[in-house]
Amino acid sequence: MVPEINAWITIAPDDTVTIRVGQTELGTGTLTVNPMMVAEELQCDWKKVRAEYASANRDVKEKAPEWTLKIPGSGETDPGGAAPVELRGMDGVYRRMIIHSSGNVRESRYYLQQAGAEARERLLLAAATEWGVPVSELVAKDSIITHAKTKRRTTYGAIAAKAARTPLPDPSKIKIKTPDKYTLLGTEQKHFDVPLKVTGEAIYGIDVRLPGMLYAAARACPVWGGDVKSYNFEAIRNMPGVHSVVRLPFNALTKSANFLCGGAAVIADSWWRAKTALDAMPIEWDYGPAAAVTSASLYEDHVAAAKLPGEPKTNEGNVDEAMGRAAKVVEAVYSVPFSPRARMEPGNATVLVTDNRVDIWSGDQDPQGLLRRAAKLTGIAPENVYIHTTFQGGGYGSNGNGPQGEQAVVVANALRGRPVKTLWTREEDWGTGTRYRPMSICFFKAGLDAGGWPIAMEVRHATTWNLGDMGYRGLSAPPYFVPNYRLTLHSPKTHVPIGTRRGTGAAPNAFYMESFIDELAHVTGKDPYFYRRELLARNPAEPKQGIGGFAHRDDFLKALDMVAKMSGWGTPLPEGWARGIAIDDRRRPTRTTSTICAQVHTVEVTRRGQLKLHRVDVAFEQGFALMNPLSVRKQIEGQIAWGYDDTMYQATTLQDGRAVERNFDKFPVSRMNEYPKQINIAFLKTNRWITGAGEEAIPQIPPAILNAVFKITGKRFRSIPLKNHDLSWG
Amino acid sequence: MAFTLLVNGVQYGVDAEPETPLLWVLRDSIGLTGTKYGCGIGQCGACTVLIDGLAVRSCFLQASRAIGKKITTIEGLSTDGSHPVQLAWKEFDVPQCGYCQSGQILAAVALLEKQPKPTDADIDAQMTNACRCGTYHRIRQAIHRAAALRA
Ligand code: FES
Ligand code: FES
Repeated sequence: MVPEINAWITIAPDDTVTIRVGQTELGTGTLTVNPMMVAEELQCDWKKVRAEYASANRDVKEKAPEWTLKIPGSGETDPGGAAPVELRGMDGVYRRMIIHSSGNVRESRYYLQQAGAEARERLLLAAATEWGVPVSELVAKDSIITHAKTKRRTTYGAIAAKAARTPLPDPSKIKIKTPDKYTLLGTEQKHFDVPLKVTGEAIYGIDVRLPGMLYAAARACPVWGGDVKSYNFEAIRNMPGVHSVVRLPFNALTKSANFLCGGAAVIADSWWRAKTALDAMPIEWDYGPAAAVTSASLYEDHVAAAKLPGEPKTNEGNVDEAMGRAAKVVEAVYSVPFSPRARMEPGNATVLVTDNRVDIWSGDQDPQGLLRRAAKLTGIAPENVYIHTTFQGGGYGSNGNGPQGEQAVVVANALRGRPVKTLWTREEDWGTGTRYRPMSICFFKAGLDAGGWPIAMEVRHATTWNLGDMGYRGLSAPPYFVPNYRLTLHSPKTHVPIGTRRGTGAAPNAFYMESFIDELAHVTGKDPYFYRRELLARNPAEPKQGIGGFAHRDDFLKALDMVAKMSGWGTPLPEGWARGIAIDDRRRPTRTTSTICAQVHTVEVTRRGQLKLHRVDVAFEQGFALMNPLSVRKQIEGQIAWGYDDTMYQATTLQDGRAVERNFDKFPVSRMNEYPKQINIAFLKTNRWITGAGEEAIPQIPPAILNAVFKITGKRFRSIPLKNHDLSWG
Repeated sequence: MAFTLLVNGVQYGVDAEPETPLLWVLRDSIGLTGTKYGCGIGQCGACTVLIDGLAVRSCFLQASRAIGKKITTIEGLSTDGSHPVQLAWKEFDVPQCGYCQSGQILAAVALLEKQPKPTDADIDAQMTNACRCGTYHRIRQAIHRAAALRA
């Protein structure tokens, strides 16, 4: 057995350090940056570090050590501390394993650094004990421990077994490094998974193969809330390879992982045979109560909801009085459609259920949740459920948490003793397997004074996004100074499953606010960069008489100035070209944690209405430090394509209660030829920990592009995607 | 055995309906899972393989149509990740989730066969595979690098 120093670290005699990672690698870099956070403190040789997944099963059985429960320092403005984390109740040894909300570094940095430091101290103590010298005289560097006075030297590999048996007298004394002491963190490190991903060796959930494995193709009622009335298995029983059929129950679980539609899965000896037979199996559906819903009918429901009083979220000053004395009133209605996360790998999981044990092979963003739900579905104790985490082909907002795994558990539970791989078709994944960023409509009304500055603003936001602060993040307290401001939320009903999506509520909300502010600048003949600047500068850092107040004002100004300078804001461009600007920090109303990101998009629109994004300049907050700046760069580069696709193409429309766009033909993803040729990314140092980097460059993209489009075409588009609009001009 | 296929220089006997898409024969019958399923309708390119040197979307090709042809999958590009395109991909740390990358790499190999010194316009025209993670910036740089490595 390779000596285990603590739950995260094993060290082999040849000095190979294996670091366990609780968070699934879905392309954001967890498998590399989490070991970096441990290795920074461990002071081991980075070239000899390997990563492997931590076990969710162990997390059920073992409590978190006391020293990982304590947050060192306090708050996001303490370099020795940690941004506020959401670990309440997550007291298993690996704490919170779910990867969500750009939270991997934010939520795990402090205990991963502690884990590295704890192991380092034990290695040092073991060596000191062996040599009979004070531990304070020892130095650890690159997996080597030295004692200068006696010229003694050992390696981590040689002392690891002893360290594994050497507890620290007082682990609560562990201090983690502050960013000024980092040597590994903050440097660009290539990703451990890349070599595996260029040879085809990387195993994703879809690639798992087990002896005797059967394959399942599943189909749920295409209308959410519907169920199977009947199916005729006899009609397909004799097709090649067909094994059996399993009924997929309606609403078998609650909340985020429920099956919102009943269905059936056909089992065969290959997936293609299972799918072919499923396609041939007559199924009669009960479409349920929502079978007549369309995007148009839902839009009307939103409009109707917005006419009701709504739920007040912000009410500063006296909006009605100020609106009454405004020199000019501007109104605008913005909207976004439903859209799924649309990851590349269709939902799947391979499951083996026996009478006393469940094994699940899957790339799942929430291994702990999947484990608990598998236990519930099978009646087998959580201690006997094992998750074998694989790579995951994209996530973008919890796609890859239920119900792919849960559905696969239901199927395999019906075929106990046989491993079964359940795999969705692309259509199944995007049509019934995912959840959606919901449609929303935002009604703005602003009253401007004679100088063109807003003295009142009324925002009515109709959205079904009632998860936490999704509906008002970025809208409840705009960064700009508007002395009389009111936001109300209006919630129509929908049967469409709603979930988080990359960019969260900040994405549509920033599209609305950053477009409308641009409109106000243009209405009053002001440059949109300077207009934003002035409105920020007018906002006090602290609220005055309960009005306004924006603690990050100065950093916002810096980010705006930085991106304006980078992009050559104000310098001439060819005819048909323009720059658009936008800023957002994905700040939550109840928190100050943020990642400020300002962008300028340089866009061309031909007279015939062909859009080309030529260049993107990004000023991105780095806070005290970025852990692996290479991961962050790659994230930003990718988010540019992601936000562009939202702006240009992506929407799920509803017809007969169901999703129309279920594959790449109707739900386009842009290709190489549309990706901007010039990307400039610069990092802005600030004195706090940032929220994260997995989605913080998304919200700015639609408004920045549409602001540029307005400048070129004179057309103000207030809904995305642009494929629905005529961009021609002149 | 219903038919045989020549994949990465090896003859495989395949027990499947001949109209099964090549993708599923490669993945489930032969066990070469580096080739991915993304759409099944020839749109995304995740299933790209080389057939007699040309990039082909294997989800859209009946396996029987590939009988007697030379099929190359990501596993057949090199034994150790040392193909110039793979080396360049590692140098630029291209993949994120990685799911599309087998297809991207094979599309790049086919492009470089045709155009050993591709321009940006050539890359725009030939690299038509989808990457939902948006790794295009690095793919472009890596293709230019791979061209230099091959020269
Ligand atoms: S899976 Fe073949 S092109 Fe998408
Ligand atoms: S790397 Fe994720 S889809 Fe391309």
